[in-house]
Amino acid sequence: MPGFFREAARRVFAQELKDSNLTSRDESDQYAPQYVLTPTGAKVNRIFIVGTLIEKEDIGTDSEYWRGRVSDPTGSFLVYAGQYQPEAAQFLAECELPAFVAIVGKTSTYTTDDGNVLTSIRPESIQQVDELTRNLWVLDTAKQTLERIRAVEAEEDQNSKIAKEHYSTDTSYYRAIVKKALESLKEME
Amino acid sequence: MKQIAESIRDRFLKLGIDVPVEDIENRLDELITKFKVPSNEAQRSVTNYFLKKYSIPKNEFYVRQAEPHLTKIIDILENGQWANLKAKVVQLWENTHESISQVGLLGDETGIIKFTAWKNAELPELEQGESYFFRSVVVGEYNGRFQVQLNKNTSIEKLDETIVVGGGDFIPAPRESELRNVSDLAGGQWTTVKGKVVQLWENSHESIEQAGLIGDPTGVIKFTNWASSELPDMEEGKSYMLKNVVVNEWGGKIQIQLNRSSSIEELDEDIKVGSLTSTYFGAMVDIQTGSGLIKRCPECKRALVKGACPEHGKVKGEYDLRIKAVLDSGTSTQDALINRELTEELAGLSLDTAIAMAADALDPGVVLDKLKQELLGRYYTVTGHKLDRYILVDSITPKTSLDRDMLDEMLTLNETLTKPEVQ
Repeated sequence: MPGFFREAARRVFAQELKDSNLTSRDESDQYAPQYVLTPTGAKVNRIFIVGTLIEKEDIGTDSEYWRGRVSDPTGSFLVYAGQYQPEAAQFLAECELPAFVAIVGKTSTYTTDDGNVLTSIRPESIQQVDELTRNLWVLDTAKQTLERIRAVEAEEDQNSKIAKEHYSTDTSYYRAIVKKALESLKEME
Repeated sequence: MKQIAESIRDRFLKLGIDVPVEDIENRLDELITKFKVPSNEAQRSVTNYFLKKYSIPKNEFYVRQAEPHLTKIIDILENGQWANLKAKVVQLWENTHESISQVGLLGDETGIIKFTAWKNAELPELEQGESYFFRSVVVGEYNGRFQVQLNKNTSIEKLDETIVVGGGDFIPAPRESELRNVSDLAGGQWTTVKGKVVQLWENSHESIEQAGLIGDPTGVIKFTNWASSELPDMEEGKSYMLKNVVVNEWGGKIQIQLNRSSSIEELDEDIKVGSLTSTYFGAMVDIQTGSGLIKRCPECKRALVKGACPEHGKVKGEYDLRIKAVLDSGTSTQDALINRELTEELAGLSLDTAIAMAADALDPGVVLDKLKQELLGRYYTVTGHKLDRYILVDSITPKTSLDRDMLDEMLTLNETLTKPEVQ
């Protein structure tokens, strides 16, 4: 497969993903991956999150279709798993709430009738993990978000520029989010 | 249609054959109208029909057609194109296949191109340095490069004039290829490499003299020394200069190959195989198929696919445990191969237990599930030798504590950087 490479799993806090509404896709290639560009310029196709699974519900009509809500220090992610994510669906069906979970998945977007863009995650895998892993993820994500904020402020690369232009990103808002996340770790000392 | 028919008739008239134009038209009409054949295809098919009917050899007919047009090498741009070339035989190569009579390079003032003369074309032998007029050669594409093929329809005529070959920097004499670092090698190059033989592998095929890994301070690469190269053997742990080797890419992996024009020189110095180990920190985001409880061929240790070894066929496999993991830092990914010992340690699962689990469930997949459950989503640091896209893991450590210093540092960094924004 020439030119094949694996998409890195980006680290983005729930609040930032929720704020995202810019999708891009190479239209000339029907197999091209779809990306969501977040306000701090993360170009997300695959995402890695660790958080607390706080709700789950089978919203399927004919077959099982699970919706899970996973929270992090800034907000929550929505995760959908159906027949094409059998392992994830089975996990959601069986697990007990609440639980720390690590999820690797692809982002997908849905535009509502009134033009809002909703982002959610289709999991490739869900595993139950310990609290340490969750804390490590928060630190990791804070670090990477901070790095992106810096790049947006400096308008360093293409993604930062596009993000700033599209969202008029208020970086102090995202710095506050990072701070909130970091302080939540601090409190646990 | 009338026009096409007339043009076909004209071409036959030049050969002294008068084909009734109604016959041509009827045939064309049937193909084009009734069978929806595109007109150029129909034209060719009808022409071929009459060639056959009047027993005119195809090459004779087409050569006459094509003769006026001469192609320069630089204009060769289309796979499947027919061409007539006036060119010089710049170089003749070792013949690599029994169905080929000659192979080498042709050149004219505009460039150089590879040629292949097929044995069944029964063409006269070409001599290096002589110039020829090649009629009706076919352009083919191989590995993204054009070449011309001399086949049954080709005719060759020796020229008295000498064709001047352009691109003056081309030296047909034995090439001295550039000395490169292992880490700089890219597919399709000829190169010279200085390195130490890190590992010799058991020979898996009679056409291979030796295969293994060679490394220099910048990295390690697989090498293959073909038996046909008639080069001396190398020893593990010794350093060598490998001249004129070919770098090629197969399935995304780069390796070097020694052939008949390569040479091996033993070196007195001991080359340090540097940066052999690389370290990567990230979250384990995937455990790929082929992980968990697998079977290996008892002879070559390769993993079996559906109980068969790609080399030795159906064999009674030996059980093994391994993980093909993908680690992810958020900005890059790294494939890592984790052997049995480390897998056992990491997952707290011995090979025997794994076999028992699989037997119990009648499914080796349970072992893979168990590994995923234990490892996915966690953060690890791996170190090990890097071999193309993999790190062959020597050690893997889970991250066991939150870095408080880093946390404080980042809080400060976030604050200090925020200030100018606030002002």
